Amino acid sequence: MATIEFSKVTRVFKRDGKDFLILDGINLTVQDQEFVAIVGPSGCGKTTCMRMAAGLDFPSGGTVKVNNTVVTEPGPDRAVVFQQFALFPWKSVHENIDFGLRSKGVSKEEREKLIAHYIELMNLKGYESAYPHQLSGGMQQRVAIARAYALNPQVLLMDEPFGALDAQTRVVMQEELVKLARKNPRTVLFITHAVEEAVYLADRVVVMTSRPGTIKEILDVKSVREAEQWDHHSRIEDVMDLESFVHLRTRIWKSLREEHAGTDH
Amino acid sequence: MTQQASNRKTLVGLTTVVLVLALWYLSTSVLGLINPSRFPRPEEVGAAFNFIQAEGYGNGKLHQHVLHSLQLVAMGFGVAVGVGVPLGLLMGYSRRAEALINPAFLLLRPIPPLAWIPLAIVWLGLDDASKILVIFVAAFVPSVINSYTGVRNIEAPVMEAARMLGIRGWRMVAEVLVPGSLPMIFTGLRLSLQASWTTLVAAELIGALYGLGSILNQAAQDIFPAMILVAMAFVGISGATTTMLLGMLENRAMPWRKGRVAA
Amino acid sequence: MNDQLTRQQFWRLTAIGTVSFFAFWYLARALHFAPPQFLPMPHEVVMKLVDLLYNPFAGHVLSEHMLASLTRFGMGFGLAALIGIPLGLAMGWFRLLDDIVTPLFDGLRFIAPVAWVPFAALWFGTGVGGPTLIIFAGAFPPCLINAYRGARNVDVRFLEAASMLGVGNLRTITEVLFPAAVPSIIAGLRIGAGLGWMSLVGAELIVASSGMGNLIVRAQSAIATDTVMAGMIAIGMVGVVIDVLIRRLERWLLKHRNA
Repeated sequence: MATIEFSKVTRVFKRDGKDFLILDGINLTVQDQEFVAIVGPSGCGKTTCMRMAAGLDFPSGGTVKVNNTVVTEPGPDRAVVFQQFALFPWKSVHENIDFGLRSKGVSKEEREKLIAHYIELMNLKGYESAYPHQLSGGMQQRVAIARAYALNPQVLLMDEPFGALDAQTRVVMQEELVKLARKNPRTVLFITHAVEEAVYLADRVVVMTSRPGTIKEILDVKSVREAEQWDHHSRIEDVMDLESFVHLRTRIWKSLREEHAGTDH
Repeated sequence: MTQQASNRKTLVGLTTVVLVLALWYLSTSVLGLINPSRFPRPEEVGAAFNFIQAEGYGNGKLHQHVLHSLQLVAMGFGVAVGVGVPLGLLMGYSRRAEALINPAFLLLRPIPPLAWIPLAIVWLGLDDASKILVIFVAAFVPSVINSYTGVRNIEAPVMEAARMLGIRGWRMVAEVLVPGSLPMIFTGLRLSLQASWTTLVAAELIGALYGLGSILNQAAQDIFPAMILVAMAFVGISGATTTMLLGMLENRAMPWRKGRVAA
Repeated sequence: MNDQLTRQQFWRLTAIGTVSFFAFWYLARALHFAPPQFLPMPHEVVMKLVDLLYNPFAGHVLSEHMLASLTRFGMGFGLAALIGIPLGLAMGWFRLLDDIVTPLFDGLRFIAPVAWVPFAALWFGTGVGGPTLIIFAGAFPPCLINAYRGARNVDVRFLEAASMLGVGNLRTITEVLFPAAVPSIIAGLRIGAGLGWMSLVGAELIVASSGMGNLIVRAQSAIATDTVMAGMIAIGMVGVVIDVLIRRLERWLLKHRNA
């Protein structure tokens, strides 16, 4: 059972002797195998939430638990996909995916099978010995996702993973992620500022307020998606054309707009 | 650079060198413009070279001297790098280690390595040990500083990814810190090597039985300018050769730095 | 990187590090790692440093030695900058000049500055000329290389604008290349100063009859280790001051440009 639980989480940053309240009382539970996206204005602390679940940051107040255990350090059970890819430049594609597997004590045979599987899945065939700088942004992010997935993590944490990619690549990656998530569901916390992306990918969408960040509202997308059978359309543009989709998207936009208006001093 | 520009560059370069050599020959041998006790004639230099190669000068033949100097550099450089690089990596990775070690480092760093020579002589006398000590001091600092910078330059997301993957301890060092810092480590190695040669020559000049510096010293005392030039040339050649070897090692060690392949 | 320290913790550890260093030094003495003559205690070194300000050693007081060294340094470094910077800029602009000078420069570059000492002594004597040449040999390469690189890395658009305005070669170098290359030139000056100061000490160790290098080498013959160490510290401190001054210059220049 892989759940993520934020209870009464606050986060204060100290800078130049002043205190900045970034997060103010976050209460959120991500259920097992649920795909939750967090959207919000810049600086609202959504990335901080993810980093706390990852163990790369810690709350000033409240607790963050994964699987009912308080998070104390990063680990392969909570795999992270970073916006900047964070591949190791000195390792080839194959070695990058292999790296995390080796510390899990998986046998060589098993590892080779896994790596081959994910390379195939992420359309990386033929690039196994390429180095990251030889690949485009989209390909690098595919490697990062393969690396995360190969760990078979209970929890997947994604921090604006498609933010650094161009529009066309982004669309392709979103479609691939949806297929992957439906086929191989796991608990996912997905951070993005692109509302359409959130609605397309997630089961639930959390809307945050501007700083100090709190949860403004949470929308259930899954029930709409299943009722309207979005998954029957394989192309993203067909889904985004549906009235139910547009309705949800506009609803969230308006909600965010209010937050932006609040920050326009 | 275009082939044309490259060819022209080589041509001009060669011409210049030839012209300078011709000028040298003319002003000394032919026209006798320069006092031979100040600046030697080309044939004198050639003769000195042959002499030291065949008969030896100042306690040994040329290759013995070069080898001796090389040995000392290798030892001092080796120890300095062997201690300095890990130390720099440690200081870069752990702020605790940095805070503890930095004071000693900052206190000793401003002292130019050559200024250590008299102290080294007081402590260890005039033989090889004092020279190795001074070379160590000279080569140590650039290695530490550049390794430190190397670790600090590893991008934060990459470090976080490593921790996320559960990489700890020795694996973190061997598979993340070292490869990630390798470019800067090599910069440090180059600087350390340069410093090693400079310091060695100085130390040998002051007092040594063997080595390129000792040739310089002996030739200066004997007022033998041709031999001075030979020694200087070989100091340059040794420095250039070792630097080139290091460069070759650098290229082999970092196969991941090349061009774009896929879209 | 790995662990985050609070300011308090950082300074506490720094203090421990500093104290440990001196403690280790005293300990080495207490445990007789070396006879007292070879390893003076820290406070003895400091006392000696102060003493040298008033009582002469090797013929002069500390300030006189320092002045001799600084004079040579000033001349050698000044010459290196005055020749190296314009030459580097010109080489960056005139490709032919680059092609001519580079092979000569590369050939001489690998000869450690100190290796010039016997030669310098033969030609210029041991007073000012000899050591100056060696300081020059040390300080010249960075000044030249950095000016050259600064000139080559100038944004092409500036050069195009200049040529479109009909600006001649000399003015291009002085009014376009030079200002753009200033950061690189200053970096070269800092490195050159460091190397020059180092080479000075080396030169004075061997050929001079006055100056800081000479001071410590004479102290070494007399096995006056406290004087050797005091001299080393003084040399280090002046080196730091020179570096700080150049950095001040750099900051002033940058402010000036952006104003």
